[in-house]
Amino acid sequence: MSKVKILTKGFFKENPSLILVLGMCPTLAVTTSVNNAIGMGAATTFVLLMSNIIISLLKNVIPDKVRIPCYIVIIATFVSMVDLIIKGFLPALSESLGVFIPLIVVNCIVLGRAEAFANKNSVFDSILDGLGMGIGFTISLILVAAVREILGAGSFMGWQFIPSQYNILIFVLAPGAFLVLGFIMALMRHIINRVEDKRKDKMCAAK
Amino acid sequence: MAQKKEPSLIILVVVLTSIALVAGLALTGVYALTKGPIELSQKQKKEKALSDVLPGFDGTIVDTVVNFEGDDILVHKAVDKNGKLFGAGVETFTMKAFSGRFDLMVGFDNEGVILNTEVIKASETPGLGDKINKNKSDFAKQFNNNDPAEYKLQVTKDGGDVDAITAATISSRAYCDAVQRAYNVFMKVKEDYHE
Amino acid sequence: MNRLLNVSGSPHVHSDDSVQKIMWSVVIALIPAFVVSVFYFGLPVIILTLVSVGCCVLFEYLIQRFLMKVKPTVSDGSAVVTGVLLAFNVPSNLPIWMMVVGAIVAIGIAKMPFGGLGHNPFNPALVARVFLLIAFPVAMTSWPVPVPVWGFADAVTGPTPLGILKEGANVEMPTYMNMLLGQMGGSFGEVSAIALIIGAIFLMIRKVISWHIPVSFILTVFVFAGIFWLIDPNQYANPFFHVLAGGLVLGACFMATDMVTSPVTPLGMLVFGCGCGLFTIIIRMFGAYPEGVSFSILIMNAFVPLINRMCKPRTFAK
Repeated sequence: MSKVKILTKGFFKENPSLILVLGMCPTLAVTTSVNNAIGMGAATTFVLLMSNIIISLLKNVIPDKVRIPCYIVIIATFVSMVDLIIKGFLPALSESLGVFIPLIVVNCIVLGRAEAFANKNSVFDSILDGLGMGIGFTISLILVAAVREILGAGSFMGWQFIPSQYNILIFVLAPGAFLVLGFIMALMRHIINRVEDKRKDKMCAAK
Repeated sequence: MAQKKEPSLIILVVVLTSIALVAGLALTGVYALTKGPIELSQKQKKEKALSDVLPGFDGTIVDTVVNFEGDDILVHKAVDKNGKLFGAGVETFTMKAFSGRFDLMVGFDNEGVILNTEVIKASETPGLGDKINKNKSDFAKQFNNNDPAEYKLQVTKDGGDVDAITAATISSRAYCDAVQRAYNVFMKVKEDYHE
Repeated sequence: MNRLLNVSGSPHVHSDDSVQKIMWSVVIALIPAFVVSVFYFGLPVIILTLVSVGCCVLFEYLIQRFLMKVKPTVSDGSAVVTGVLLAFNVPSNLPIWMMVVGAIVAIGIAKMPFGGLGHNPFNPALVARVFLLIAFPVAMTSWPVPVPVWGFADAVTGPTPLGILKEGANVEMPTYMNMLLGQMGGSFGEVSAIALIIGAIFLMIRKVISWHIPVSFILTVFVFAGIFWLIDPNQYANPFFHVLAGGLVLGACFMATDMVTSPVTPLGMLVFGCGCGLFTIIIRMFGAYPEGVSFSILIMNAFVPLINRMCKPRTFAK
């Protein structure tokens, strides 16, 4: 796999939340506004990046038998750090994300990348993988959040452009999250099927 | 990795312990680094809420915990330079909210007249119950400058003086409930103060 | 239903019933309730119903034609029924654009993504109603007071009988006679129990619906409301009140009986109706919402595959 591919596969083809359906909790819960989505995405990307680095550095030291506890300790450490830093320096963001920052610990994407990638690849590849996955996750959070914020609150990144009597409240509530996520996932699948069909056609034509 | 020799128990313990140790040390560092800012931002938040509910007050704040009907309620007594009670900010709450509970800070002057109310923590439904926040609607402002002794803290539907938020009667009732609780606590504190 | 969808072993006799015929029967059966609504709420009822039906048909056509790329089947009338039922479930002063959003949800979210008529697990009109209720809580709960003349669009608003019960407003309850005839606050199609019952009887005679679901649904509500009423008449409302108030009759006769989203066997229908009634009473008495008919039918819709499996008729000679 080329280095570029390691980085970009998380954006679209292996997008953690829209294709692999990992990390559903933050995708559904904090996507009420684009600002929240960016904050959450950045925090998760940081944790992913750092845990990928450390785990791939330690991959030969950590015995197989205790690898999961080790990964969890490492991930939890970075999550706690992020939590403390956000609380101290970005109190407004910490208030709107609330308990979901500490909950990054149980985000399957982080442990999933540690298990599936960082513990068998070089440090540099792991950095690319962590970054790519983090950015992919952030992109999907922003996608979901943008639809929800525009339809539900009539604003984008806090900038109100639809008067509040035309807001469709359900989109900022939990059921709206499920609806939007479902339709975006369907759209993703549709696009991927299209692309694959085209590739197949090309291959047939080449033969 | 599967080809590796099975490591002994001691190695497992050593590795796990050392990872936990390093992690703990790193965390301690970050904690020490962020302790100051976190405390500062929390203090600022509280001071901001207090100065909002006690406009124009300049003196010392004395905190007391009052046990009221089985709940501990924090009262910030505002005492002016002459030792007289200026009023108080009461950290009240309600359990009757649409989402269970929300917390308010209510400021009273020394007569018991409501100076201002401020939502500290609430998770009411966006677009409906969250209109209890002042930046969403004027609902909370109607409480200001009213004395609960003659201003009935109930929504008009129940025969009170408070205009409820459209389609959010439960949140409006809960707000009244919280303010009423704050008033009762404040009256208790006031009596004790004069003794 | 006995003639139409009697589940039994072969040989089967071909009947002349078609989807089209059933759907138009339902539309005819809803006419009395429509007339009563127009009488009490005036012109907005006609406008909203036309908008709702028009949008449902239009969106179904567009989705089938351009997204699914199949031959449009809007002429089967199912979108018309969905449109009428959806309109019946909203207050008559609902802004028209919200009605359009409701139609998009009914067809574009509740019906077509599952594959269209016959494949949707949940009643599209109810999904759209619940969506609207959560999306526009203020507009969906400001009920115009019925005026028995050709009223005006923005009349006074007042609470529904169930709203009075839940929120304890200082408003007089409508009399039982008024609730039966339709002079009470509420969604415009649900107010007149008598008109809805006439329509339901018509459908039963035409064998489009069977008696099982409406009777078991309403009876369950009556029995449970009665039990609570007997325990404490001061705190709980009279069972007759619970039957006449809100959208119970509309829901039980026209929406719970939707063939696609209800069980196929008579026993299954009874189970389904009882479940709906139980959830309705639970939501009405203990829930945050004053009315629970739409939620209870949707909840039971989810159980339909299970009920169908549970109430499967015995295989022949087993």
